[in-house]
Amino acid sequence: MSENLFEINAPGVDVEKLVAEIHAAVEKKTSEGVYADARIARAERTNLARLRDSDEFLNYYLQCLRDATLVDITDFPIRERRRLLGPALVRLKQAIWNLLKFYTYRLWSQQNQTNGLLVTAVEGLDQKYAAKVRELERRVQALESAAGVPASAVQPPLGDPRTGAGEGA
Amino acid sequence: MSRADRLAFIAPRFSETGTIGGAETLLKQLAEHAAAAGRNVTFLTTCAQDHFSWANTLPPGRRRCGRLDVHFFPVDADRDISAFLRVQAEIDCGAPISPPDEETWIQNSVNSRALCEHLRAHGGDYDRILAGPYLFGVTYNASRVWPEKTLLVPCLHDEPFAYLGIMRGLFDRVAGCLFNAEPERELARRLYAYPDAKSAVVGMGLEPFAADPAAFARRRGLTQPYVIYSGRRELLKGTPLLCDYLLAFRERTGRDLKLVLTGSGPVDAPPALQEHVLDVGFVSEQEKHEAMAGAVAFVHPSVNESFGIVLLEAWLAGTPGLVHAGSAVLRWQCRQAQGGLWFRHYSDFEESLLRLLDDPALRRALGEAGRQYVRREYAWPAVEKRLFNALNSL
Repeated sequence: MSENLFEINAPGVDVEKLVAEIHAAVEKKTSEGVYADARIARAERTNLARLRDSDEFLNYYLQCLRDATLVDITDFPIRERRRLLGPALVRLKQAIWNLLKFYTYRLWSQQNQTNGLLVTAVEGLDQKYAAKVRELERRVQALESAAGVPASAVQPPLGDPRTGAGEGA
Repeated sequence: MSRADRLAFIAPRFSETGTIGGAETLLKQLAEHAAAAGRNVTFLTTCAQDHFSWANTLPPGRRRCGRLDVHFFPVDADRDISAFLRVQAEIDCGAPISPPDEETWIQNSVNSRALCEHLRAHGGDYDRILAGPYLFGVTYNASRVWPEKTLLVPCLHDEPFAYLGIMRGLFDRVAGCLFNAEPERELARRLYAYPDAKSAVVGMGLEPFAADPAAFARRRGLTQPYVIYSGRRELLKGTPLLCDYLLAFRERTGRDLKLVLTGSGPVDAPPALQEHVLDVGFVSEQEKHEAMAGAVAFVHPSVNESFGIVLLEAWLAGTPGLVHAGSAVLRWQCRQAQGGLWFRHYSDFEESLLRLLDDPALRRALGEAGRQYVRREYAWPAVEKRLFNALNSL
């Protein structure tokens, strides 16, 4: 549920401020794990593909990856809502969990190790190439200004924004 | 510069009855309003209607369409489509393109030698020639005939075609540019170091309308709140993203929010969402406006727009916008109007939509601010003033 952080009393609204408030609320909820949800990952696939050339979006996804990388392997309370046989079912589930957790701990801790290494590798690559690109841009700019070429420093976006199979065809 | 009285407009397509393509609609509307204001207007176009086949389906010749004197010319039949597609595929991949390949691409795009011949013979009859959009051979070659009196209406997008060397040449060649929005002008500045002195931001006008917010839901039997999108449904417009987001929103928040779609193209909605999507296809302008007026928000998920006409229409209907932050133009429009919010990713989308759903006063305030903005900036008298200033000064 959304928290209403403001009231609209005037006919106009400051959308810049409103969007900043929304971003702050999203950041807070992200840190609380509210958006660590496979349904969001599924919904974001298209967005990620369309915006893969944007630094801002890559940073966001790296942040999400960092937040979601560790599988929670701690014990959890086992409850049973059915009144009849409830206590017996809880004891049964606890027994099953005690039998399984030796294996699942081993599995999930390995998985966590793999996830953590992958995130670190992706972040490392991102930082390495970002630094490399910055350095190349600086050199291009220096060479252009030495040669008296007007600065352009523009690269086409990757992908195909408006091909629509036959646009222009 | 003296008053430009005799105008020629050039667009790859022209619809005598309905609308085809955003850029073509823009040029037609500007031409009609210039003619209504007493200017002598000729419209030069091709016989094609379909933007996939570019087949010459209309008869060539000169016809009167309302206030416009329209000349239809055939699209060249001898274009090498395979060469065009080969280079286009390389452009799409972001591969470096050699100048000869760029020339191959544009010369095998949609061209009309007959139209250029007409311009060569009669160009002296026009004070100003307005041509667009930028990425078609028709526009490119027509701008070479009388560059000193040609004004480009580029509808420029941040896409691989815009980075071709020949496009820099096109922008350098023409006498000036009419942009739709400030971010489009900013893009031209960034790509071609295009001088502000050679350009103007004009846009397109919209007629105000009245729409009953309850009429659409009543007619279609909708009892739940809904968001709306109008326009082409395709990956590049972001409609699959909107469907994915709305499904996640419904599942995560438990809110029974529907999606209404107007326009053309297949809806690629996930099976679990399909029963919550109302696709009404092409509807009358009145019904579209009523559908917009009753919506919680108009969602525009496209990241590559040069002008969000449907967003302006939604504001005229008093409905707030919720747009993708990846589109500089849509974000700029929301800021200028104070009429909409923008999302970078799903989390922003969910939070923004929850606020709009839970706060009718916020919706009203955003919708009203948007409406006032469109009435102020995009009423036809304001657009005509900007257009005629540009025609007389550029």
